[in-house]
Parts: sequence; structure tokens; C-alpha cells
Amino acid sequence: MSLLVVVLFLLSAAYLVAVLEDRLTNGRWRWLGPAWAGVALLGRESTLPRKPDRLFFETAPLLLLVAAVLAAAVLPLAPGLVIADLATGALFVNAALAYVLVALLMAGWGPDGAYALVGGWRFLGQVVAYSMLIVMPITAVAMRAESLLTTDIVVSQEALWNLVYQPLGFVLFFIASLAVCFLPPFDLPTAPGELAGGVAAEYSGARLAVWRLARLVLVVALAAATTVFYLGGWLGPLLPPWLWSVVKILAVSAAMLLGGHYLPRIREAQLLAWCWKLGIPLALLNIFVVGVLVLIWT
Amino acid sequence: MIHGARQGEWNVVRRVAAMAMARDLCAIVVPGTEVARARGLDLAAAGLRITASPRHANVLLLVDDLPAALLDAAVVLYAQMMRPRLILALGGDGLPGLNADVAAAVSQPSLDAAVVQLRSALAQGAFHPAAQDFHAAALLARIEYTCPMHPEIVRTAPGDCPKCGMTLVARETQGGEAPTPEPFPPSENDPPAPNAAHVHDDETGHAHAGHGGIDHSGSQHDASKHDASKHDDSKHDDSKHSDSKHSDSKHDGSQHGGMDHGGMDHGDMDFMSMVDVTKDLPRSSDDLPMDWIDVPFGPVFPGLPGGLSLTLTLDGDTVAGVQAQSLVGVTTRLSMTDIEPHHLVDGFERLDPLAPVAYRFLACRALEAASGHRPAEDILRGRVAALERERIASHLGWLAMLGCQSGFAWLERRAAHLQRACLQADFHALMSLQSALLALLRRLNRTPLLRARLTAIGTVGAAPELRGPVARASGMALDARNGDAAYQALAFAATGRAGGDAFDRLQVRVDEIRHSLTLIQSAGDLQQPLPCQAEAVSGAGQAAVETPRGEARLQLTLEQGRVTGALLQTPSTHHLSLLGTLLAQQELGDALSTVCSLDLSPWEIML
Repeated sequence: MSLLVVVLFLLSAAYLVAVLEDRLTNGRWRWLGPAWAGVALLGRESTLPRKPDRLFFETAPLLLLVAAVLAAAVLPLAPGLVIADLATGALFVNAALAYVLVALLMAGWGPDGAYALVGGWRFLGQVVAYSMLIVMPITAVAMRAESLLTTDIVVSQEALWNLVYQPLGFVLFFIASLAVCFLPPFDLPTAPGELAGGVAAEYSGARLAVWRLARLVLVVALAAATTVFYLGGWLGPLLPPWLWSVVKILAVSAAMLLGGHYLPRIREAQLLAWCWKLGIPLALLNIFVVGVLVLIWT
Repeated sequence: MIHGARQGEWNVVRRVAAMAMARDLCAIVVPGTEVARARGLDLAAAGLRITASPRHANVLLLVDDLPAALLDAAVVLYAQMMRPRLILALGGDGLPGLNADVAAAVSQPSLDAAVVQLRSALAQGAFHPAAQDFHAAALLARIEYTCPMHPEIVRTAPGDCPKCGMTLVARETQGGEAPTPEPFPPSENDPPAPNAAHVHDDETGHAHAGHGGIDHSGSQHDASKHDASKHDDSKHDDSKHSDSKHSDSKHDGSQHGGMDHGGMDHGDMDFMSMVDVTKDLPRSSDDLPMDWIDVPFGPVFPGLPGGLSLTLTLDGDTVAGVQAQSLVGVTTRLSMTDIEPHHLVDGFERLDPLAPVAYRFLACRALEAASGHRPAEDILRGRVAALERERIASHLGWLAMLGCQSGFAWLERRAAHLQRACLQADFHALMSLQSALLALLRRLNRTPLLRARLTAIGTVGAAPELRGPVARASGMALDARNGDAAYQALAFAATGRAGGDAFDRLQVRVDEIRHSLTLIQSAGDLQQPLPCQAEAVSGAGQAAVETPRGEARLQLTLEQGRVTGALLQTPSTHHLSLLGTLLAQQELGDALSTVCSLDLSPWEIML
């Protein structure tokens, strides 16, 4: 039951994210736009490149989708509304996101094309940059909750959301989650103006439809993670808990899309330099500060 | 029926899919969106979404009557698009051998009407039981055999190298003497195979030749059993790379670089020693041996000017070699001798779609210089205003291209919108746009990451051949407007920066938009340059005009009212030749930023 509800939620939230993305690129609200685009993709040809690594090429979009759904599987939408309330939930999110890298590398290698290949390896560099900034803020969140259970993490924010309790961690996690979803300004692997679509350039028809869906679900999954870790999950007055989750997740998704709209793409070398020289010290500082706060208040 | 229909009988599902496709028109633009913008077209308002990859497009949009080399590139793009696909030609006929599905004039109302026609054509003709394959001369390829160690050995049949005895490896080249043999038989269009996915050999045989992307040696299907062939074409070493290898035998003057490299073959990974595999590979500056691949960026590529054929040899993601040329240069399109003066002026107006007023102005001034005619003061002032309006529009078009290149979506949309508003604006309309323009420029200065992205990228040292904003960003006060009486009357003073990097070029263009607004404000009403009467006049003269990209010079000789000699110098010609040194050893993204920051116009390049 939870499975069905969560999957339906992911799909409909992904649809709304697609509507917003369409609005940002074309300047108009077209509520049926993504639906038509999806059906149109299914009606178009979907060819293989000439010398593909067939296994990698075919698997990559599905793997991306699976990774995104797995990450969302441990994130509760309401008390009891979670696919799997794992004892290691917070770590599991990170483990599932590791497969995003695998999917992108496969999509880069699979079609045997230069744009895709460069895009795939660029994402490897991007992972090296952002991965610590996913794990270390989650560590601080788990320290406060004294648990890796995602439901415990939500409950731990009853008095004060982590957004306020550890704002530094929130900022780092939010930026890193943009990088996970390769959204602008971190769209290095797809970079329309540099790689003409990069890892996605060779996908067409139904395969492209799966790829785009997977990416949207990934955005929603990361927004859900941000909501659970920093925005108090389902907590909130008046409205039913699930609605609070939905509202927060959609708001975070919108923020993730909007930010990159007003920024140029970051350079790969600078991304690595800033993440390691600035991001990781800040993340350590965040762990230290949260540690002190936890000691004082308990 | 549309030419690019997908094969298949109609059924309910396909009716729905066709309806959906008619609502979801994704276009790839030839020569490029910058030309569409400069012609005042708003593609998004007409309902076309612009895609970066031809694989994601279902409309090939041809803007203007295009030169043959660019049409060949468009043919390759068309072949890479997924069926059902359509051709929309604005101001042209379509592709060689294939008429456009919808043809219209280059104007926004006719574009809007054409899109409506496209939608109904697609809704009614997306599928057809007897859809045919697409064949064109530009898609033909030839297999030839060459020695990995001796690139000068080229044979038409497999065998051993006469010099070293190594087995010759196959590679694919452009050229149509013989249609492609065995490896790529023309396939049926979407046959009802049990597995829906299949390879369209006719298309993917040339995948991305024009647009870039694929660099397989297709011939490795049969040749890859030899270890040597794994690195066949990518086994450049520096000396080979610089001389004959690229210049003559392989690219053969065509724009389709990069499709003959087998560097990334990942079949048959038999065990082989790393040392053996890498010993002949080229060495980068960091001494890491890697496969080098040639990747085409253009002649049609998002974020770069259309018509610029740029092929980068990539060593990892570092640029190790550059080949750049224009496919749409001046001499391919315009004859400049023995013509009537007003034909010259009209020809110059069409010379560069990105700067029609400036070149029209140049032709008029050169005619006036040759015939000794001097226009009245207010006409001169009106021309200044028209030229400065074009400078604003052109710089805005460049900002939109920068937005596309750097993924700055807001900038792309906003600058494109303002560019369209400026193009035909009169004095009052321009003055009312002023606050919006200044707001955009202020916004640019406040944008995080923009400075970091462009600073220290593509630094150009001061050199006397530089022109326009590129020169002024490198600390040189070169500006044809300095010596112009009409400009001096308006108290014009050229400005510049000293750093010479991409960010300085951005700053110079931003400052110039401000200055141009001030100049228009004092010059008053705009006036299109009109050719003077030069009947039965003989003489010679030269003129210089500061186009948005820098000073262009024209020397004219008139005999009895006819132009008998013309010599044109344009700013982009030299800037193009800078690319080789500027891009070397840059990361790919930085290299493309550099190319974009030079604001090259392939149309004005003298071949």
C-alpha cells in the first residue's frame, strides 16, 4: 500500500516538476505539456547508436530510475507512509545515490559517442566533488536525532527544524543535491551549450522518455531527502502530515530548478576546488557545531 | 504524406501519438538560433522548442537560403533526427534533393502560420505504411584502408602496408564515388521487427557527422580483431597530427570531422599489456598517454555561431588540437566585381545576417568615398543611430549566445527578448527600452559565478591585427569610430579594458551597449543608409565602419558607374586564426567559452 502511494506520489510530483521546467524554458505554463511530450516521445523512433555497448546503453536510464526510487523508498511522507523504514535509512539514501554515478557513467560509455563520453567522465569528477557534501551533513543530522532512522530524524526536529538548527548543513546539502541531480548550474554531464546533451544526447524515443522521467524522479527524491533531513518532514500545524510533506517537497523541487535558471554553469575545476577547499571544511565545522549543541542541550 | 514519416500502419495508439507529436515540436535550427534571432524570429512564441541534440528534435528549421556546405551539414542533421520528422524552410527551398515539408518567408507571422501547418502535417502524416528511406549525396561514405603507422598509405582494398608490413585498417571517409559497401547497407525504414529497437544503418553510419558526437571507425566491425586497429586513427603523434594527416587525405575539405576515429572501441577487450597499448599513443603535457579523439563542434552547435566548423582534438577533456574554418565565408557567397552599385549595397546587406546594417553602411560609405559624394549632416547622424542600434542588438544577441553556451537560461531568454525588441525599434521605442536594457546589464554584474566562469579564460594579448571589442578588451584603443566626424560631433570616446580575457570582453560589450544608448540619445532619429547616386562616375575610395565585431574596411574602384574592384577586410577573419593558440591545452568547457567570447561571425570571414 505504502509502495503504491509513494510511487504514485513520485510520479505526480515528477510531473509537476516537469511542468515547472517547461515553464522556465519556454515561458508559458502548459499543464498538459509534459504529458504530450511524453506520449510524443513514445511515438518517435528510438534507435541505437551504431556501435553501442548495448547493455550499458539500455540499462543506464533504468538504473537511474531505480536509484532515484530506492533513495525515495526510505524517506517517509507521513508517519507510517514509507516503503521501508530501515534502521540505516539515512545511510541508505547515500548508498542509493551512489548508483546515480554508475548510471551516468554507463550512459556516457554506452553509445560510444564523444559528447556522451566526456559527459560521463565529467560526472565522475562531479561525484568526487559533491559526495562528501552529501554524507557529512547527513552525519550531523543523524547526530542530532541520535538515529539513522529517517522517521526518527523527522521526529527529532519537532521543536526546531534542522534548517534553523544547522543552517550550514542545509546549505551544503542543498547545493550537493543540485549536483547529484546534475541540475544547472551543475549540469556538467549534459551541458547543452558544451556537449549538446552529453550523456543524454544519443537517447531518443522511449529510452529518452525513461531517462527524463528518471531525472525528474531523482529531483523529487533529493527534494524529499532535503525535506526529511532539514525541513521537518511531515511536521507542521493544521494541515494533515502527508500534505505538509507534499508541499515542502514541491517547494524544495521548485527551488532546486529555479536556482540554476539564474546562474551560469560552474566550471569543473572550480567545482572540485570549491567543494574540497571550502565545502568540506565547512561541513566539518557544521559537524563540530552540531556536536557542541547536542552536548549542551542534552 | 510527409517525407520524414515513420513507417507503420495507422492505429488508435499512433493517432494519439501523432496528436501528441504535433503539440510537441522540438526544433534544431540551421544555421543557428543566433541567425533566427537576428532576423527577428521568436521561435518559442511560435511554439517551437529548441533542442541541443538532433536526436531530440523532430523539426529541422532552415533559416534563409543557405550556402551548399551548410546544406550538406543540414542533410546529416536531418538524417540523425528520429522519424517522424519535418523540414521547415524559411526563405529557402529545403535540402538538396528534398523539398521542405513547409516553406515560408522569413517573418514572424509566416513562421506562426508555418508552425500551424507543421502541426497539422504531423498529426495527419506522422505514420505511413510506405515511408521511404532518406538518401543524399552528403550521406555517402567510402571505406578505405590505411596503415596505422604510415598515414600516407591509402588503399581501396584490405592488405598489408608496403612499408612496414602491418595489416591495413579500414576507415570511413566522406566522398561519393562509390556508395558505402558492406558495413552499412541502407536499411528498411523501421521494419516490423520483433524487437522494436534496431539500428538505422543508413543514418547512424554517419551519426553526428555534422553535429558532432560519434567518432567510431565504422569499419572496425570487421577490422577490430587486430590489436593495432584498436587505436588506428587515434594514434596520432604530434608530428603526424600537424601535417598531412588531417589536412589532405582524411577530411578532404569537408566539414564532417571526427567520424573516422576508432579510439573508443569497446568490443573485444582481450587482455593486452597496458604498456603495449599505450606506447604509441600521443603524450599530453602531463605525460599521460591517452586516446585522442577528434570531436566536431559545429557547423551547427548550440552556443556556437552556426556555420563555424570547429573540430577539437580532445585529449581526455583537454583540447590538444584545433581546426576551425567557416563554411559560409564571404567569398563563397558574394561576387564583388562588375556589378551595379545598388546591387553591391544589397549584397553587402545580406553579407552577414548578424550585422546587415553595418555592412550596408560600409558599402554606402565606400561608394560615397569613390564617387566623392558627401551626405548631409542629419543623414550622417541618423546613420550613426542606426549603426549603434545594430550594435546594441548584436551585443544582445551575443549575450543570448553566451547564455546558451554557459547554461545561463535566464540570460538567454532575456537578452533574446530585448534583441528582438531593439531590432526594428525607432528612436522612441529604443528610449523606452533603455531602462530594461540597463537593468539587464546591472543584473549581469551581480550574477554569481559569471565572473568566475570567464576570468582568465581565453586571454588575448594586445596585437595590431585585433579588432573591435576583442581589441578593446586587450587594452587597445582601436575603433573606427574614433576618426569619424559624425561620431566626434556626438562626443564619442572609445573605452576599453586591459585584461584581455573573456570576462573583459563581456565587460567591453556591456559598456558598449551603454555607450550606444547614449549615442542614439544624442543622435536622434534613425536612418537606414541609402546608396548614393553614382551613375557614370569613375574613381576609387575606401571606407571603414566599426561593425559590432570590429572595424571592417572596403576599398572600391568605380568605372563608369560600375564596381570593377572591391577589397574587403573583416574583423572575424583574424580572430578565427587565433583559435589554434587560444584553445590549446584548455579544458573543453573553457575552450568553448573562449570561442563564444570572441563573438565570431562565420559569415564575414574571408576564405
